Amino acid sequence: MANYIIRRLILLVPTLLGMTFVVFMIMALSPGGIGGSLLNDLGELDSQQSRAIRQYYENRYGINQPVIVQYVKWLNLVSPVGFRSQRDETGKPHYTSFGFKWPDLGESMAKHRPVSTMIAEALPITLLLNLITTPIVYILAILMGIYAARYRGKMLDVGLSTSMLALWSLPTIMIAVLLIGFLANRDNLHWFPPGGFNSVEAHTMAFLPHRTEAGFERGWLLDRGWHLVLPVLCMLYGSFAWLMKLMRSSLLENLSADFVRTARAKGLSDNRVLWGHAFRNSLLPLITVLAGVLPGLLAGSVVIEKIFSLPGMGNLAIEAINARDREVVLATTLISGLLSLLCILVADLLYTLADPRVSYE
Amino acid sequence: MTRLALQPAPPRLTYLQMVLRDTLRGVGPRVGLAWLVVLTFLAVFAPFLANSYPYAVRTTDGSLSFPLFRYLRPVDVALPVMTLLALLAWRLFGRVPARWRLLVWVLASSAVCAACFLTIKPPLRQTYDRYREQVKQGEVIWAITTPIPYSPSDRLSELRFLAPSASPWRLMGTEGNGADVFSRMVHASRIAMAIGLIATSIALVIGVIVGGLMGYFSGIVDLIGMRLVEIFAAVPTFFLLLILVAVMPPEWNPYKLYVMMVIIGITGWVGYARFVRAEFLRLREQDFVTSARACGLPLSSILFRHMLPNGMAPVLVEASFGVAGAILAESTLSFLGLGLVDQPSWGQMLSESISGTGSFKWWMAFFPGMAIFLTVFAYNLVGESLRDAIDPHTRKVAAL
Repeated sequence: MANYIIRRLILLVPTLLGMTFVVFMIMALSPGGIGGSLLNDLGELDSQQSRAIRQYYENRYGINQPVIVQYVKWLNLVSPVGFRSQRDETGKPHYTSFGFKWPDLGESMAKHRPVSTMIAEALPITLLLNLITTPIVYILAILMGIYAARYRGKMLDVGLSTSMLALWSLPTIMIAVLLIGFLANRDNLHWFPPGGFNSVEAHTMAFLPHRTEAGFERGWLLDRGWHLVLPVLCMLYGSFAWLMKLMRSSLLENLSADFVRTARAKGLSDNRVLWGHAFRNSLLPLITVLAGVLPGLLAGSVVIEKIFSLPGMGNLAIEAINARDREVVLATTLISGLLSLLCILVADLLYTLADPRVSYE
Repeated sequence: MTRLALQPAPPRLTYLQMVLRDTLRGVGPRVGLAWLVVLTFLAVFAPFLANSYPYAVRTTDGSLSFPLFRYLRPVDVALPVMTLLALLAWRLFGRVPARWRLLVWVLASSAVCAACFLTIKPPLRQTYDRYREQVKQGEVIWAITTPIPYSPSDRLSELRFLAPSASPWRLMGTEGNGADVFSRMVHASRIAMAIGLIATSIALVIGVIVGGLMGYFSGIVDLIGMRLVEIFAAVPTFFLLLILVAVMPPEWNPYKLYVMMVIIGITGWVGYARFVRAEFLRLREQDFVTSARACGLPLSSILFRHMLPNGMAPVLVEASFGVAGAILAESTLSFLGLGLVDQPSWGQMLSESISGTGSFKWWMAFFPGMAIFLTVFAYNLVGESLRDAIDPHTRKVAAL
């Protein structure tokens, strides 16, 4: 098992290299090239100033070097084995010795901040959204799927299947706009905040909800939850509908299998047949698609983050792409790619738990 | 197809015909298909349904003019003619093999397109106000207008954000710049349908070629191809789409519609390649492929004439979900402001409903949103039913 995991982890490297290279080349070959809009804005300055700024970018970030050299330098920066570098007083990096070092994500050209701190601010938000959504989606989908499969062919099941397909087809942007418009707008019901991750005064609040002389105060935790209701709702329904259909069809397939008929013939109760025999087998396809659901949720949260103005990875990526901010684009690609590949790996490992016949020895 | 469904199955139906018959058996896919037919009609005849220019105007000075026809663009003429040709080829020449009908249709419609784009030169300036002036002056004796008497770009600044209840002529209200929402919706259906179908075709062609080669040759080709597939599958598709659209040069903006079709196409081929590869890996061991190879047929013939028709059914299922996905992708991009600039798009209209002054214009969220939803739902219904029709197992379960 350990062998298998190590081999899979090593195989991640070429895929990650390929991904970052594709994204880097698209960015580099686009008009304006790397750092495009940062340098284009210089047009309004006089020539001496703009030359000085251009000089600064070339010196500090090496944007005048050939594209391949820039990519290799970035690889050297993120790899744990490579040349250590140090900036001199003008900010130009100099390479010193070869050996093990801490991987570094570099510095943003647009914000002049270390990319790692930017990611450290944005990633928890996206992960929080996904970690709240995924378990809810799975639990609801499994329960509803079982319910629909048990009463298959009845009015409820037929109605449920079609309405699940409809639910899956509902565009996120429409639901988000309608939710904001009706539940978070001053003209209609103003129950939820229209965007953001916390209220402005959240940092002055106590952590838990409590009662003061002024009345009930919701506290930091409840305030955050209150802000997350609408975004989570938007992310929830689509994958829920899809997974529920999957659970239903997979359970139906198992319920018509021979081993279930044998179990019935032995005289087991319906509940024993369902939970003891058919249930675990039916989970297999749901685990397989976990690998597809999580990257989908990461990408889906781009739209959600944009609509609800949450400062997560999606927003960071869009801003970085618009500025052609080399380090930030590559870092967001690397991290979201790494996360989705790790999800695929975890899904493969979970497979062994659900199905003892599968083994990776 | 309904005629086929009512009769007991004649013995000489091809596999594809049987699949189509089974697909259209349920109510859901029929309703879905009906909506798609309505949408196609709206898309093809958009300028004849929603236009500020009347078909014909008789004025008091005795002159009869046809403003609508004078302002038609080449594509507005080419699309209906091509649709009529397709209908003719489908219904009239039923005896001729489908290949020949398709070939004739492709040739004829290319000729029509070329003729339209070469000969039709509409006036560059749109003067929507002239007819309205004439009406105001009392010069018009009679006029035949379109059912929706507003063009999508007919902006009347005095009629901003008109709710649907405000005017009987504005069934779905107006936008922030005074353009008619219903008219824009009808014209946007053209863009949605075009992007959905063409982007999916591009993805399908790439996917079938790459997947077919991978499945047929296996070995080293398969290994390299699968790494490529893995790379594209690991970058979330929508993220890649955002990057590609964001880095598009601004000079290409007039052709953004076509660029977006290509971009959505080249980010969506991975799924098809996987399906075709799996099918071809299964088929390559079968006897008919061996005999085709033994006959000395060229590779293209083995791949596309012999293997592809046998492995096409699951790919068609994916394609109908793919069209829904492409329409969603376009509307989401337009919603984020990265889509088409001046042309009407459902997603862009949706985004206007909450932007700006902060008050919520429900009609600009509800109508375009429902249009996206119904179209995506229709394609998904058809795809779902197609999948059930080609899968003998689900057919059995559904019968239980």
